[in-house]
Amino acid sequence: MQPPRLHWMRGRVDEGDGKPRTLEWIGIDDAGRTIARVVRVRGPLASGWRLYRAVALDAQGRVVELRPTPPAGAGWLACVGGQVVGRAALPLQAVRTAEAALGGG
Amino acid sequence: MTTTALEKIRNIGITAHIDAGKTTTTERILYYTGVSHKVGEVHDGTTTTDYMEQERERGITITSAAVTCEWAGNRINIIDTPGHIDFNIEVNRSLRVLDGAIFIIEGVAGVQPQSETNWRLADRYNVPRIIFINKLDRTGADFFRACDSLKEKLDIVALPLQLPIGIEDQFRGVVDLVGMKAIVWEGSELGAKFHDEPIPEALVEQARAYRQTLLDTALSVDDAAMEEYFEHGDVGVETLKRCIKAGTITGAFRPVLCGTAFKNKGVQPLLDAVIDYLPSPVDVPGIAVAAEEGQEESEAEPRRIKADPQAPFAGLAFKIINDKYGTLTFVRIYAGTLRTGDTVLNTTKGHRERVGRMFQMHADKRAELKEVSAGDIVAFVGLKDTGTGDTLAAPQDPVVLERMAFPVPVIDISVEPRTKDSVDKMTIGLQKLAAEDPSLRLKTDQETGQTILSGMGELHLEIIIDRLRREYGVEANIGAPQVAYRETITRAHTETYTHKKQTGGSGQYAEVKVTFAPLERNTGFEFENSVVGGAVPREYIPAVEKGIRSQSDTGVLAGFPTVDFKASLLDGKYHDVDSSALAFEIAAKACFREGMKKAAPVILEPIMDVEVTTPQDHVGDVVGDLNRRRGMIQNQESAGSTVIVRAHVPLKEMFGYISDLRSMTKGRASFTMQFHHYDPVPRNIADEIMAKSA
Repeated sequence: MQPPRLHWMRGRVDEGDGKPRTLEWIGIDDAGRTIARVVRVRGPLASGWRLYRAVALDAQGRVVELRPTPPAGAGWLACVGGQVVGRAALPLQAVRTAEAALGGG
Repeated sequence: MTTTALEKIRNIGITAHIDAGKTTTTERILYYTGVSHKVGEVHDGTTTTDYMEQERERGITITSAAVTCEWAGNRINIIDTPGHIDFNIEVNRSLRVLDGAIFIIEGVAGVQPQSETNWRLADRYNVPRIIFINKLDRTGADFFRACDSLKEKLDIVALPLQLPIGIEDQFRGVVDLVGMKAIVWEGSELGAKFHDEPIPEALVEQARAYRQTLLDTALSVDDAAMEEYFEHGDVGVETLKRCIKAGTITGAFRPVLCGTAFKNKGVQPLLDAVIDYLPSPVDVPGIAVAAEEGQEESEAEPRRIKADPQAPFAGLAFKIINDKYGTLTFVRIYAGTLRTGDTVLNTTKGHRERVGRMFQMHADKRAELKEVSAGDIVAFVGLKDTGTGDTLAAPQDPVVLERMAFPVPVIDISVEPRTKDSVDKMTIGLQKLAAEDPSLRLKTDQETGQTILSGMGELHLEIIIDRLRREYGVEANIGAPQVAYRETITRAHTETYTHKKQTGGSGQYAEVKVTFAPLERNTGFEFENSVVGGAVPREYIPAVEKGIRSQSDTGVLAGFPTVDFKASLLDGKYHDVDSSALAFEIAAKACFREGMKKAAPVILEPIMDVEVTTPQDHVGDVVGDLNRRRGMIQNQESAGSTVIVRAHVPLKEMFGYISDLRSMTKGRASFTMQFHHYDPVPRNIADEIMAKSA
């Protein structure tokens, strides 16, 4: 098993229902700069009269709608530099996808 | 009884399709945990849990049996359940009271119909489970294909914790993906030694890939474990086990182990997995308290009773057995502590019960206990009127626990004693057998006076008649099996009926206006009172419901119970002097009889999900025969040299199928079937049925 290249730490957490749920993992380099993120896909989410099939947090913590809707089983997005570089069912898989996108992973 | 700490108790079931190896696995567990010193075999009729004479003669499990053993300082209470669909009630009630289960899947056939049925039952009761892929020594066994069938047929995340080393007659051990080592057995005999060794070179790459999948999946349920992984590039065995247990309990994934119980390989790691991954009574959320009458089930999260010996007593009676010593009531204790002679409240029926004696059961043997407490599964003697599914609770906290749902019988037979003087004995015997088995129903045919026994299948009823003979000494004649038809309506109709008898003396007067409307399948009967302005006084409304309900037992077409309809009482009239509850009940019955005829009634018949496993060269014969039986072929699947044909076939056409199948395939094919749904019968068959009942 290849150890992760970045330092990964817990990002934003959803405290809803009394069960904290990590919404994102943040990958930082040795200098402490955020290089990559893996973000949980949530949904469907009702807001007012609209129903969003799939949403995720952007780097600023804003909820954004995902279009087109990711396929079933793609529970996490791998993001590098603000770009989505892949999807995965599980957070560790998304971490590997993000690191692979950085090259040399 | 509980001297063992609650967190060291596991209440588990073993369940699977028929012949997947449940009882064989249980026997090995009892041997390796030191409970028995020799292993019984199903084919020899010597197993511990199959103690009934019929079980030993036929080599199948009929009734669930409870046994207790110890492993690594933990107490494991095991219930071995039947595989045959006719005895599914045993699986149902066992899963209701268990904290976890081992699901055994056959390594050759993968997931079979009964595995699916039992899996859905376990889903209903949220039972955490681990999967054991058995019989990997058999020709045609394929661990990975069996895993695929888990994903395809059960739609689950099947997570292998082991990989097989060798297969079929070369199967010699497993790769343990948690500890990343090989476990190899040195022989196939009972008690064969096993040892750890490095993973064989040829499997290292595959093991690494599966270990990564294991980490990806298991760690996703635990953020602290993810952080440990990010820090070290791996996690410790204890962390991984903690994650696997958490995911097993929530059902995020289902751990998969493998082996061959018959050849004594894989059983000890399976026991380790039971301890490591299945929950103790304190690891589960606790049993839900039933919603109170009038309260919507979805209104709020139900109150849950956590396992606590100090809390007020709460237990659920889940099985009744009558033997020569009296009535044994099996109870799962969820909270509190009880001593011999204590009194509890049967909160389901609203009366008090005194607990005479208490026993820990070991199949058909028993050890007396003076005290029992939360987490225990025990048997009480001395309860007078407690049935399957009743709650027993402390008077100071009279909770009612969620009831069990029982399957509906699909087949009837008439039964009568061979000699007149056995009538009473037969009635008592059948009543006791029906009290033990909620999937067995007893009724008297109003027209012929015959006793009608309704059950889940031919085998179920055959066993009951055999038990009647052996246990109650009654020789009985039985009629040909009859399909348990139902009736329903296909369009709404509103009927008004006036019951009027006012000629001399005190009269009777009632008028009701009722709309009869079809409901979705399996919704039963609903009654709605839509009367406004007191046209029918409030005190007579229950009589209207009672009248319709009782009349619905005798349908208008052929006298079968009418189901899946709604009766809405819209309006009516009454007389100050001559109206009574009885008059409204009579009016409601007549209104039903008249109204249902105009609501396009139909007869429904049970349709069975049939799976035939046949050699390739007989597929044509099997399919042709199923078509002749009004079967609808669902699919055909090849598994090695055999083909599995799945079809929906009316039960009426399946009586005696086994003999026809054997002669058609020279005894090489086999089949299983289970109830699937009710469908309207074709017109010509409906005419036949009505002519017969006329």
